[in-house]
Amino acid sequence: MSTLTMDRRNNLWEVTSRTIVYAAIGAALYGILLVAQVPIPGSTVSVRPAFALVPFFGYAFGPIVGFFTGLVGNGIGDQISGWGALTSWNWSIANGLVGLIAGLAPMYLARWVNGNLRDRAIGGAVAGAIAVVIGFLFVFTDAILQNMDIGTILSTLYIPVIVGDLIGTIILVPILVYAWEPVKAQLGR
Amino acid sequence: MNIAPRYLGRGSWLARRDPRVLILAIVLFIFTVLQVWDGRVIFGLLLLSVAYYRLAGIPWRQIRRNWTVVFVFIGLLVTVNMIIGGGDAPGIPLEQAHVLFRIPLLGAPISAESLSLAVTQLMRYLAMATIGFPLAFAVAPADFGIAFHRLGVPEKFAFGIDLTFRFLPSLANDLQTTADAQRIRGFDWSAGKAGFLSRARRSVPVVVPTVVNAIAGAEDTIDAMDLRGFGTGRRTWLRHLAYDRTDLAVIGFFVVLLIVATIGGFSGAWSRVWTPQFLIDLAPG
Repeated sequence: MSTLTMDRRNNLWEVTSRTIVYAAIGAALYGILLVAQVPIPGSTVSVRPAFALVPFFGYAFGPIVGFFTGLVGNGIGDQISGWGALTSWNWSIANGLVGLIAGLAPMYLARWVNGNLRDRAIGGAVAGAIAVVIGFLFVFTDAILQNMDIGTILSTLYIPVIVGDLIGTIILVPILVYAWEPVKAQLGR
Repeated sequence: MNIAPRYLGRGSWLARRDPRVLILAIVLFIFTVLQVWDGRVIFGLLLLSVAYYRLAGIPWRQIRRNWTVVFVFIGLLVTVNMIIGGGDAPGIPLEQAHVLFRIPLLGAPISAESLSLAVTQLMRYLAMATIGFPLAFAVAPADFGIAFHRLGVPEKFAFGIDLTFRFLPSLANDLQTTADAQRIRGFDWSAGKAGFLSRARRSVPVVVPTVVNAIAGAEDTIDAMDLRGFGTGRRTWLRHLAYDRTDLAVIGFFVVLLIVATIGGFSGAWSRVWTPQFLIDLAPG
């Protein structure tokens, strides 16, 4: 049995103790690892390998866990850094959307999600990549909220963020799927 | 590795407030600032945010680094926006703007209007960051769950927020243990090239075991919650929150501020960028 099967489509939105604990672990890990991020010279964003946790938690445990991991994890990271959890609320929502979209993979990547371990790992990378590109479109709300030029958002925020996060996602999500699936089977989930 | 949120404002006037006050204050203030583009009013709001910030009693020495990051982030963002904007400002195309100079090599024009916009943006960001700091340092981490729940967040998710804060120290400890174990094996994830790819690759031996261990170890917490009937009925919280008069006065103040800003914004009085006359006069010709 796998958590990444079509059987989950019907209970994607179920909130149980398992959902809450996985979501809290995802958010805490993401928040902690955000502190270890490295700024990109000449940019306002950072290389964030830890970001891969957001699509991974969404892909492995569903859209609610993914959304919570991105939303609360980013807020926690901002909170620890002193920026304040709510100051960049639209960025936290963008992070949450990435987890949510990755969590909906059983709806749009059923073939990979239901395949063997290799397929599921590839599916994780593809779902993560799609989620990053779409989810972060939400940061364009800065154009309305902060009167930022679309070109500025594109060049200093959106593109650097998605490039860094895509690399992290494509490398780390399949590895996390490969590492987690045998453990999950061993635990009998 | 100490990654837990730092409660630096403990005992201050703001820390003694109901935690919901600090959450509501930041939400109301952000929506106030978002409606105002007049630099003079924004300056007033910035002063207000500084006064509010000082009530949190956060020692400067301990958050100097955080402020440096904020200044660099905001400064870079605003500067790039000003250059890419090419001398434009909202409602004022370059042809009508008063160009002060062109940036050498880039040739990008900087006008009195675009400079005013940049300064206004800088003050807006600073005001929002300043009001955000007390939330980060003057609220007890254990109060976030109940505070968000009492503000309307569903019980299960509020508990999830609470649980996230509880997991922080132990997971940070696990991360440090994993990093140390890899270091003993001769692998240092913080060393080496700083490129995108190498950074992502080097994080694998530390991130993957930490994540998988954390998820596998979650079973005990899940069992404990299930055995206590989590989600089967209404949950009670150890901490009880109640507004006092001062709390209500603070919230009332920020509500009034939002209403005034909304009226000012809709009437058009504060919704346009203000350019000081002396900047316009500096423009040649």
